[in-house]
Amino acid sequence: MQQKEAQKLWLIAPAALMVSLFFLYPLCFSLYSAVTLDGALTLSHLDKAFELYSKDMLFTVIIVLVSVMLLAILSISIAALITLSPFRSVVGILGFLYRLPLFIPFIVAAQMMRTFLAKNGLMNNAFVASGLMTPMDTISFLGWSGIIITFVWKQLAFSTLLISGAMAALDDAQIRAARNLGASRLRILFGIILPQIAPSLGVALVLSTVTMMSVLSVPMMIGTGTPTMISADMAFRVDSYGDYHVANALGLVSYLICAGLAWFYLRQSLKDKGAAA
Amino acid sequence: MVAQSVSNNIVLKRLKRLPFASSFWLQMLFILIFSLLLFGPIINLLIWTVTEVWYFPHALPTQWGLKYWHQVFNPYSDVSGSLLTSLLIAVLTVGVCLLVSVPAGYALSKRSMPLRVFWMLLFLIPQAFPNLTVYMNIARLFYGFGLNGTLLGVVLVHSVHGLMFSVWISVAAFSATDPLLERASRNLGAGSFYTFFHIVLPQAAPGIMASCIFVFLESLDEFTGTFFVGAPDITTLPLLLYSASMEGNYQIASITALILLVPSILFMVVIHKFMKPEMLAKLGK
Amino acid sequence: MFTRTRIAVLAAIGLTSVISAAHGETVLNVASAGSQNMVDYVKTYLAPKFEATHPGVTINVIGTGPGDAGSQKIYEKLSAQKDSNQPTWDIDVAVVHQKMGGEMVKDDLLAKYRSQIDTGKLVSRDSAKNALGTNVNGYVMPMFHSQTAIAYNSDFVKHPPTSYNQLVTWTQQHPKEFGYNGIKNGMSGVSFVTGWIYAYGTNAKTLSSEPYNKANEANWKSAFAKLKAFNKNVTFTPGNAGTLDMLNRGEIFMGPVWVDMFYSWKAQGKIPPSMKLSLIAPGMPGQPMYYVIPKKAAHPELARQFIELATSPEVQAQGIVKRFNWYPGIDAKYVKSKLDKATWDKLFAEITPEDLSKYGKSFPIAQYFDDIKEGYERQVSN
Repeated sequence: MQQKEAQKLWLIAPAALMVSLFFLYPLCFSLYSAVTLDGALTLSHLDKAFELYSKDMLFTVIIVLVSVMLLAILSISIAALITLSPFRSVVGILGFLYRLPLFIPFIVAAQMMRTFLAKNGLMNNAFVASGLMTPMDTISFLGWSGIIITFVWKQLAFSTLLISGAMAALDDAQIRAARNLGASRLRILFGIILPQIAPSLGVALVLSTVTMMSVLSVPMMIGTGTPTMISADMAFRVDSYGDYHVANALGLVSYLICAGLAWFYLRQSLKDKGAAA
Repeated sequence: MVAQSVSNNIVLKRLKRLPFASSFWLQMLFILIFSLLLFGPIINLLIWTVTEVWYFPHALPTQWGLKYWHQVFNPYSDVSGSLLTSLLIAVLTVGVCLLVSVPAGYALSKRSMPLRVFWMLLFLIPQAFPNLTVYMNIARLFYGFGLNGTLLGVVLVHSVHGLMFSVWISVAAFSATDPLLERASRNLGAGSFYTFFHIVLPQAAPGIMASCIFVFLESLDEFTGTFFVGAPDITTLPLLLYSASMEGNYQIASITALILLVPSILFMVVIHKFMKPEMLAKLGK
Repeated sequence: MFTRTRIAVLAAIGLTSVISAAHGETVLNVASAGSQNMVDYVKTYLAPKFEATHPGVTINVIGTGPGDAGSQKIYEKLSAQKDSNQPTWDIDVAVVHQKMGGEMVKDDLLAKYRSQIDTGKLVSRDSAKNALGTNVNGYVMPMFHSQTAIAYNSDFVKHPPTSYNQLVTWTQQHPKEFGYNGIKNGMSGVSFVTGWIYAYGTNAKTLSSEPYNKANEANWKSAFAKLKAFNKNVTFTPGNAGTLDMLNRGEIFMGPVWVDMFYSWKAQGKIPPSMKLSLIAPGMPGQPMYYVIPKKAAHPELARQFIELATSPEVQAQGIVKRFNWYPGIDAKYVKSKLDKATWDKLFAEITPEDLSKYGKSFPIAQYFDDIKEGYERQVSN
């Protein structure tokens, strides 16, 4: 057994080495600068980060959580439709459609949304032209709602691709059996499919969270005024003050938030597996 | 995806006989709303690629044309060359990520793996810690190694970022494989390599392929790392058009996106072709 | 399997090095921060001119993105090369913002070259010697001078405000019709806030030319409080380009913009002809973009020749003034004689030379500047 574990470590070694050498090692300098001032350990940078940006941290967490929740609901329904729908045309159209945003870079998605969601953007113009709205009623979605819309729009393809892939890999026999026993499709979805694809769902959501936390272009282009997201604060700290200390402290906070969520997921998935075994 | 249609076929036959007329229209309605939401911004993008003048309060551009296409493809910037470089880097990045993350993903999918959570969090770091402040250190390191300005350097930087996708998704893909099949194969006397390549890997293939797509796209869009490690010797398409895109030049940003769309879709098509044999193997199980 | 990829990778590297070696030319690398039209200007105007007189030299232009972030990237790249003790650095000429010029001089990243080029004596304005309190004399040549001002849609605003006081009244009468980008999304907003402090805190002269003294910040508190109240009546825009864009889309009718960007957008038809500019009292800041040469540039001689060309009166007249309607970097008197009166006057069609000299201010010295931004973060946006 001991030998077997050593073998597994060898399998991870190349990947782990790559990350350690080309990212962790350089990252250490950044972490060092987050907790030191002229060589002495200090928490003052973290203090300052919290003092100035605690509101933004909360804002970031809320934005990310809301987006992740919307993502989960939407991508499960789309993936479920693709897997369970009896209508071939529905499956075909949906399968083609949802993948489109995958290919559009964040920076472009952000700009598109800026002109789409703005007060006099294409969306409101379309509503006005179709008589659903008068020009007086139009409101701008730039700001927190725009950030969420953009994140969900862009990440939906990612999570749906993962989830529908997992659903497709499921054993059909179970679904068939349940169907024969008279279970409704909703029951099948919640009772049989969801528990089995939970790992993929978790991965999709964790990776989406991480992506959203690190994307700079969306809060920069869609977000207006304050509060804003941590990544934008970090950029501001570096570009405007040349202050790497507080920026790194913010980066640390951002990583801890991501790691916290990921840890929660990993622990949960370990528990589930333990129970199954 | 092929996998979907295969399973659908089977489920379909079973379900087709039941009456679904109302739910059909419901689902079509869902698709209609969904496609409006999806296509709105994309149509917006397409309009911008051929917009020359678009003032308030006009609902549509007042002057259409290809002016900005000429600007992007001007004789001073080598669009096709940098697109090829982007493509080469992206393909190499996918290769590197696959090579290191398939074994890692397999090992990490085992519950008995020591320190599993630690390893998983490790691979999250390159994306989860906002990179803004780290690139300077990476650049310093790469200058020291003499990797700056080389293709290898850029591929390595992109790979480290792509690893999050490839490792995490591979782990999920391998976790979903049937351990009984693996054990059965070993019991029947197959070697561990044979079992891995013929039993385990084909089952995880769809997930791993999906991870390739994300790694590819991630690499194709990446700008900052390329600048610090590759510039000025290596020019990728995002690097070439970064200022314009970043500045809010909608036309150039939209055109760039359209150009980047071509290799992305090609890559997806190639991957689908490549996936078929594996999927067929799965059918016979 | 590993060796196979390694071979493939090595082959690919070999391939690219062969490609670049095949040209057998000297490549002069120019990195430019700032907006796309600046990158295009270097790429499509300066580079061909330079290559024509220097056979065998190719100019490779890299745009590093608009705003401070673009300059910051150049700084980080140079600083990384300095820290890893590279014998030569891979950027020969850089175009950076004023503030970054100062930082780079402080960190010993730049070559002192101005006395070695002929056009060096054509600059006398203060911003070529002093960057936010750092002495940069000899290290920089201004590419052009940029100014912030209030842009407004003259179709909807008949009597634009001419001072901060009038602007405050105007926003009270027309809530949400004035927009700016805060301080985190670009310099035009920062500039507006700095002007606000000049108006209600401490005057520009004290903050930009006298030594740092915290006591001067005594009445900033009330200025920030006033700004907070003012912010209730404004719309926030996403960035420098965002302000111009919202002006174009009719979402706001007034907002602070960079004059050079304003003219470029107007020339490209991205904002309607009805847009006009007003530089309001007691003044708003502006800044030059600098040409700099990194200390260990691989081709310092060529770099100097390039900057010499770029700052020659002819190129400044034809390229900067005539082509873009930007304020020249070198002293005006050398440029004016190269142009006909109509072109020169066009430069001042929106903002008169009197207004420019009266209300065009510099940014405050670095410590005050940081205090203004941090004060805003603490007292206005919190």
